[in-house]
This record gives sequence, structure tokens and C-alpha cells, in this order.
Amino acid sequence: MIVHTETTAWIAALRGARRKARLRLVGVIMALLAIGIGLTLVTGPTMTTPSELMRVLAGHDVPGASFAVRELRLPRATLSILTGMSFGLGGVIFQTLLRNPLASPDIIGISAGSSAAAVFAIVVLGWSGAAVSVTAIIAGLAVALLIYLLAWRDGVSGARLILIGIGLSAMLDSMIAFVLSRAPAWTMQDALRWLTGSVNGATLDEALPVFLSLAVFGGLLLARRGNLEAMRLGDDTAAALGVPLAREKVLAVMSAVGLIAVATAVSGPVAFVAFLSGPIAKRIAGPGRSPLIPAALIGALLMLLGDYTGQHLLAGRYPVGVVTGALGAPYLIFLIIRSNRAEREP
Amino acid sequence: MTTLTAEALRAGYGPRTILSDLDLTVPPGAITAIVGANACGKSTLLRCLARLLRPTAGQVVLDGRSVRQTPPRELARRLGLLPQSPIAPDGITVADLVSHGRHPHQGMLSRWSRADDMAVASALEATQTADLAERDVDELSGGQRQRVWIAMALAQETDILLLDEPTTFLDIAHQIEILDLLIDLNRGRGTTIVMVLHDLNLAARYADHLVAILRGRVHAAGSPDSVLTESMVEQVFGLRCHVMTDPTSGQPMMLPLCRHRTASNFPNEEAMS
Repeated sequence: MIVHTETTAWIAALRGARRKARLRLVGVIMALLAIGIGLTLVTGPTMTTPSELMRVLAGHDVPGASFAVRELRLPRATLSILTGMSFGLGGVIFQTLLRNPLASPDIIGISAGSSAAAVFAIVVLGWSGAAVSVTAIIAGLAVALLIYLLAWRDGVSGARLILIGIGLSAMLDSMIAFVLSRAPAWTMQDALRWLTGSVNGATLDEALPVFLSLAVFGGLLLARRGNLEAMRLGDDTAAALGVPLAREKVLAVMSAVGLIAVATAVSGPVAFVAFLSGPIAKRIAGPGRSPLIPAALIGALLMLLGDYTGQHLLAGRYPVGVVTGALGAPYLIFLIIRSNRAEREP
Repeated sequence: MTTLTAEALRAGYGPRTILSDLDLTVPPGAITAIVGANACGKSTLLRCLARLLRPTAGQVVLDGRSVRQTPPRELARRLGLLPQSPIAPDGITVADLVSHGRHPHQGMLSRWSRADDMAVASALEATQTADLAERDVDELSGGQRQRVWIAMALAQETDILLLDEPTTFLDIAHQIEILDLLIDLNRGRGTTIVMVLHDLNLAARYADHLVAILRGRVHAAGSPDSVLTESMVEQVFGLRCHVMTDPTSGQPMMLPLCRHRTASNFPNEEAMS
């Protein structure tokens, strides 16, 4: 083989520049996240000063601050970040695999399936903890399989799969409402969690399963991202590049459903975080590789800032899902209008 | 030299059988063109050779081992395929697309190496797309885009390259450009090339080995001189034609006979039927 030294150096330089830009972007989002965490930890009916916060975090007892920070705000921030990362990563995996931003798990009913199963397990069966997570994962996978089977007609078309998913999602939402309406002692707060998603009353115990699912499923997805990138070139090209398609698709879908389901079992189906994170991450990261890590971080940022806005910036207090829902709905309408127009063009 | 053969291959989609008892030997180091009428099984054969389609009987053998028993990554280091309509992700650059060709050479843990950069650079140079490296694939012309896809397959550094109608959607000048490029690769790198081609005359001009498929079987295989005959074209395509030597290449070429505009020294299609 002839060695093209100059071109080789240029290719290496292009790749290096891209890598640097990616790292810089991740750094910027992490800095924003740190600011969001700081704000969440100091803001409350009585503000905590940064110096008090430092002392609380260092383990000292600060009257009037320790309880609020340790028991209320820290669990809330932790859960927001972990569920946000799960939603962001799970969403972008679906959007990448199906090559469609509308194919997000919260649009096509997978979040609704997990949520319906979780609310049934908690309200009707009185379960908690890992049993609820597992039920949510199984329900999420069952919904994914059901959508796939219903959308099958000589192969699966993306548009048909999305429409069927939206229909299933509506059915599952009404099941959630039904279960909640039959539960007598249920408060508005709990109902809102399962209808729009919320991190109210978060505890660090709840964060543990989400953390474990992120470590296992997220780790698996990141380790296999080369195969995921190759699959963006279409099934035939990916297979020609040596990707064992059937196995990789099942692994990717199961991991993404796992992420979404475990997070949903804790925070409820927080509206549109999975749907918005990928496109936002792609917009700021630019084209190139599928933005898995940026999407996870953007998901965390959306949860954290959405919750902060709902708690402190609006008149009255709203769960995070109300804020992210208000953000996501216009984008959903925009995408549907655009895809409708694109289909009509010859 | 890597050898690729199909033995008693039977394949199809669902209940429909398209290939039946097909035997094929791909001559190593040569350019093979597969021709045949629409829906005769050309693309199905290529998909079987590349392991995209599982045969219902028979097998494809690469270097003495069935491709189904070869791990996918190892297979992808020896056998490359350019599908008919590959998908370029939105906004991907030429360099990034070509880099995907290195996928089978990278393990779970191994990092991108200088050898990978060199393979990408060499593929870009060979296809004369190095100056496009930073451009978006979406912005390129049809001919440029096809060269970039070929570059991706080259970066894979396989001994055998399969191409499914690499000249479709290209104008005649770009068709010649792509086929010339394939000859360069065959001569320069010794890559064995197997391609499905629609145009019989281009196939006869560029291939060392011509394979005509009829109803899922190999009807004729051999040098273009021995395969491109008036009777073969009539049997395989149901078309009457006149075969002569192409004065520009010395290869055989065929001129179809039609119902109109037939000179008096040729039998008129209408008069014969």
C-alpha cells in the first residue's frame, strides 16, 4: 500500500479537532449541570448561603440548612440527574436506531407502558423498590414488542411504528388515569407523578436502582457504540461491516427500554425529556457521531432546570413534567408538521 | 488469494424461491460481472455471497470455510460489500463516512490507530476524494458520492469487494469513471471484484469474467467473448441482437434489434416474429 503521509496527517488532524470539540462541549454541559446542582441545593423557602452549603456537604451540622440540603434538595438533585441521564440516553438510542426523532420512547408508548405497570404495582399490589423496577422493565419491553408486532407488514416502517406507538401510548395513559381514580387515598401529588412525572419527595434510596441501571445499561450501550454508529448506515452496510445485526438491535433496544423503565418507575413518565434530549444534543454537537453522552447530559440538565423552574421560578409549584411538557409539546407539533410536509413533496 | 464459491445455492424471500441449485466460482484477482434480466436473482445472489441473506440450502464458501461459520467481523475483514442504496446519516462528512470502513478492524477495546488513519487516507487518495474529506456527503454529486462509498469499502481493506449495481443513477460519464476506478483498484491492489451490472456492453467491456443468470441459475459463465453471444442474449433477456467487436476496446458488444429503424442488412424483428 502506498503511504499517503500528508493525507494521513490531515485525517488524523480532522479527527483530533473533532474529538477536542466534543470534549469541550461535554465540559460546557457539565459546567451548566454543576451550576444547576448548586442552584437546586441553595434554593428554598430560606436560602442557604454557599458557605453554609459547603459546611453541610463537608458533614457539619448547620441549623436550618442541614435537613433541607441533605434530606430534601440533595436527593432531588441526584434523582433529577440520574433519571434525566437515563431518559436522554434511552431516547437518543431509539431515535438513532429508528432514524426518526419522533421514535422516542416517551412518544411511542414505552414510557407509558412502564408507568402504567409501575402505578399498578404500587397502587394496586402495594409493591415497592426493585419489584416495581422489574415490573416496569418487563412492561416496557412488552410494549416495545407489541408495537413492533403491530407495525409488522413485510418489514417495519418507521411511520407506521410511530403511529401505532402514539395510539398505544394514549391507551396506556388512560389505564394510568383509571388505576389512579380507583385508588381512594391517593393525593393529587402522587397522581401528578404518574401522569406527567415528578421528583417530589425524592429519597436517595430511590436513586439507587436508577444509578445501577445507568451503570449497567448505559455502560453496555457506550461499550457497543461502534456497532450503533455502523447501524446508522443502514442494515445492509452495517452487516457488510461485520455487525451482527439481530443481536445488536435486541441488545440496544433492551438496554434503552431498561434505562427508560427504571427511571420511569421512580419519577414517573417525565414528559418529553427522552424526546427532547437527543435533538438538542445533536443541534449543539453538530453532525457526526450519534451524541450519546451529550444527550444523557442534556437530559439531566432538562430535568434539573425543569424541576428548578417548576419549584421556584413560576407562580405556584409544578412538578418537573409540567415544565418539560410545555417545552416539548411545541417541538412535537413542529416535527409532525415538518414530516407531514416532507411526505407530501414528490 | 481469497477464493469465493457458491455451492448448490438455494435462496429466496419467504415462500418464494429465487435461486435454485446455483453454483458459482469467483476467479480470484479478477473482475466478475453478473448480468441477467430483472428479477432473475442477480442481487439475491450477491446478498447470499455477502451473507446478508441466509440460503435455504447449499452454502457460500470463502477460503474453504462456509461464511455462516465465519465470525461476522472476520468475514468483514476479507469480504466487503457496497449495497445498492446505502444510507448516509444526516450531515456526515466524507472523512467520517470513509472511517466507518475501519469498523471490522477495531475490537471492543482497541483504539483508533495510525494504521486506521493510513487506510482511510489511502482509500480517499485511491478514489480521488481526499479533497472532499471535510465536505458533507449530502452536498456531493451522484458520482462523487458513489466514489466516497467505494472509498469506505476500500478502507475496509478486503481481498474481495462485492458491488450491487454501482453505476445505477449515474450518467454515462460517471458510469465510465466508476468502472475505470474499479479496474484501477483491481490492478493496483489486486482486489477481486464482483459486481452486478445492468448494462451488458459495459459488463462485457470491463469484466474479465461474465456470469449470466437465468431464472435463478447460472446460464453461462466465462470470458466475455464466450458468454456474450446472440443466442445467450436471446435466451437470457428474450432480446434479439447483433454481437460485434467493440472497435474501441476489442471486447464484444451487442446491439439490440428492435421493431423499427432496422437497416436492410439486418433481419427486422417484426418480419421474423
